[in-house]
Amino acid sequence: MPDLYVESPLAHRNSPERLSIYLREIKDRGMVDLRGIASDKKFMAAAKKVLGLDLPKTPHSSVSWGDVKALWLSIDQWLILCPRAKAAELAAALTAELGVIHSLAVDVSDMRAVLRLEGEGVREVLLKGSSLDLLSGDYKPGAVRRMHYAEIAALLHVVEDTVFDLYVFRSYADYAWEFLLATAREASKIKLFGKQAGPF
Amino acid sequence: MLLVHCPVCGAEGDETDFHGGGQAHVRRPATHDPVNVSDEAQRDYLFIRHNAKGLHFERWRCDRGCGKWFHAARDTVTMEFKAYYGITELPPRELMEQATGEWAGYFKDKLK
Repeated sequence: MPDLYVESPLAHRNSPERLSIYLREIKDRGMVDLRGIASDKKFMAAAKKVLGLDLPKTPHSSVSWGDVKALWLSIDQWLILCPRAKAAELAAALTAELGVIHSLAVDVSDMRAVLRLEGEGVREVLLKGSSLDLLSGDYKPGAVRRMHYAEIAALLHVVEDTVFDLYVFRSYADYAWEFLLATAREASKIKLFGKQAGPF
Repeated sequence: MLLVHCPVCGAEGDETDFHGGGQAHVRRPATHDPVNVSDEAQRDYLFIRHNAKGLHFERWRCDRGCGKWFHAARDTVTMEFKAYYGITELPPRELMEQATGEWAGYFKDKLK
């Protein structure tokens, strides 16, 4: 098997400067799209055997075990995160284990770009492109939400309180990056709760 | 702007996060009797829709959320959503009873 060749959709971009948050692309993230029927005990058991975790059934939640993480996308769909080099192997292992069970496991590592946003004002930066109430208690670490972000489809994963992963389709990576560069500028920082820097 | 709630994943958002799928409970004649589908029945299935004033039943999709279709009962005058229910389900009984016009005719035999 030839060495894994991965070309980033943001390879032409320099690391950003003068932002109020820390922004970078995560290039080594492997992703496996897993679909199946959550009420099917055989499916859940087979998935657990390969992944080592119980697939989450609660909407907008995630579960992790070792270097594998399962994000809830829909009642019959999960996104499995793992190291990039492991993704193809994991998809093959799932396919083999699931056998004739009505299900699907596909390596989709090249489908989405992952943008990592870190810093104190990260929620306020994301709010500029979204209608979600990111300051509410629904977005605790571990929360997952497919969303409408800056007019494109995105997947938001709250890693830690001030660390967010934004998954966008690969062809939109450049646009999302550009949008974040503009909204996360140090000069355009907002503070929603507390004293404003105004008058404007 | 409509505020929509997805009964499948619990997501709430404005209508740009969702996709309206038109009138609910449209019956495809060929599914039930493929041999005897009249031109009129096929025309009605494809093109003829209720234009209810007041209580109306619609299909919606949680477009930027879980991606699932669901049904919603909405008042076309006040824009208020009365209920959300599964894509394979009928509306809550009290709403079927409140339905007027063409919808009343549709739900008549389902209320028995």
